[in-house]
Amino acid sequence: MTASASSVPAPVPRGWLAEWLAGWNAFWFAPADPLPLAMVRICTGVLLAWSAVVWLLDAPAFFAADAWLRPEDVWRMNDQPWQWSWYFWAGTPTAARLLALVTLGAAVCLALGLLTPVAALVSLLGLVSAANRTPLTTFGLDDTLGMLLVPLVVGPSGAVLSLDALLGWGDPRPGVRANVALRLLQVHLCVVYLFSGCGKLLGASWWEGTALWGAIANVQYRTLDLTGLARHPLVVNALTLATLFWEVGYAALVWPRLTRPLILAMAAPVHLGIGLAMGMMEFGLAMLTANLAFVSPGTFRAMVSTVSTRSPDPSEGLA
Amino acid sequence: MTTAAPLPWTPVARFAASVPLAAYLAAVILPPLAGPPPASELAARLLQPLRPLVGLVYLGHGYRFFAPDPGPGHSIRWTAERADGSRISGSLPDPAADRPRLLYHRRFMIAEKIAPLVPPVDAPADVRRAARADWLPLVKGVAGQLLERHGGVRVELSLVEHYLPTPEEVVAVEQGGGARAAGPDGAATMADIVTPLGTFARAGEGRGP
Repeated sequence: MTASASSVPAPVPRGWLAEWLAGWNAFWFAPADPLPLAMVRICTGVLLAWSAVVWLLDAPAFFAADAWLRPEDVWRMNDQPWQWSWYFWAGTPTAARLLALVTLGAAVCLALGLLTPVAALVSLLGLVSAANRTPLTTFGLDDTLGMLLVPLVVGPSGAVLSLDALLGWGDPRPGVRANVALRLLQVHLCVVYLFSGCGKLLGASWWEGTALWGAIANVQYRTLDLTGLARHPLVVNALTLATLFWEVGYAALVWPRLTRPLILAMAAPVHLGIGLAMGMMEFGLAMLTANLAFVSPGTFRAMVSTVSTRSPDPSEGLA
Repeated sequence: MTTAAPLPWTPVARFAASVPLAAYLAAVILPPLAGPPPASELAARLLQPLRPLVGLVYLGHGYRFFAPDPGPGHSIRWTAERADGSRISGSLPDPAADRPRLLYHRRFMIAEKIAPLVPPVDAPADVRRAARADWLPLVKGVAGQLLERHGGVRVELSLVEHYLPTPEEVVAVEQGGGARAAGPDGAATMADIVTPLGTFARAGEGRGP
């Protein structure tokens, strides 16, 4: 159906501030499909569940009274009393394990999309509690999981691809909360890459193109021996500079439709490379999960459709 | 001039949502500006009223991954003595025993986060004395956990900074023209820098270097 020219309202001229306001409103408050948020939810739930399993392997040493970092010393590493933790109540090994189990249960529910709003909130509380109790053992994975979980609490992340949806508890229609959640994640991710890139600009080795060698040669990190690159300094140079330019440019280049696919495509080798070569696969996957916030619902649907088309028909082969 | 589609939320609802959104964005952007050094004092001051929010949702990060330059890795070498006089040694993290890799990485962070607090052995005495107040309580916690895990009565700790070989050194080693810079599994070698952290008894009192 096409509207006739006479029925189209004439554009109303607006001032500069009104344009800003309209831009803010359109950016944050237009309805969005909850599908990308659901994809982020599933990946985040799996990663947090795995992280909770690892905490459980040594929960007393992470969280109990005689942990690596004693409760009375936590303030030395973070901003007390604001960086609260439910593990401050866990003096005994059993209490530490029980609270870590709560996080694991919530993370599994989050991945499955069961009672999603509650699961997302408890997952966030569990992650924040763990990270704030044991800052001596945290790293980028925990920062990234925190970044992922806040939007999952804010938005209807269980509206689709979830047990909640199967039970009829979710509203799969596009909505404003889904958009707010995805925008929060997108903006936060841009901030992470911008500061990560700008921080690298303080270092001579990033300008010289030798920084990646520092990661390759570090035996404490190494899970894949790439020291053969010692004979190929220009390759190290190219990889270092590509990483640097990608991180610094991400916040600007991920928004235009022309450059977005390139920027997102580069996220995979960067983060999977770090994951494989430096033994931080969980961190790499968490960052890739955050990048899903920039993938359009149509792309996800096309992927699902391709997979389902390629799947053999269960009726095939039956006589 | 633009023609915008009607938005589902009322202006009042949008305004009510914009206030916490703006606060959250500030809480995301200000922490990496406020630290680690070099950092903005203005950002640090603006951050003050947002500290409860930053702490509540775990936003206080600098995001300077492998910046400004990727440096050498660290581990904590330990030797514990049990009540029967037997001794046991190990490393934190332990690449051979700490599985899965995420568990290794979490334990690796203990050494990595204590290391910047410990001045080198050749630092001026007053610098080393002042820094002790920062790292000693953390090291005591690590010592206490090691004693607990291994049933020790006393444990001696050292911080090991693992030598980071240059590409030229690696090529020289491959050609047989240089000493091996780093041992297998990150074990300490001649080129590593070892800083004694002290001996700690079960009671928790440290006898420093």
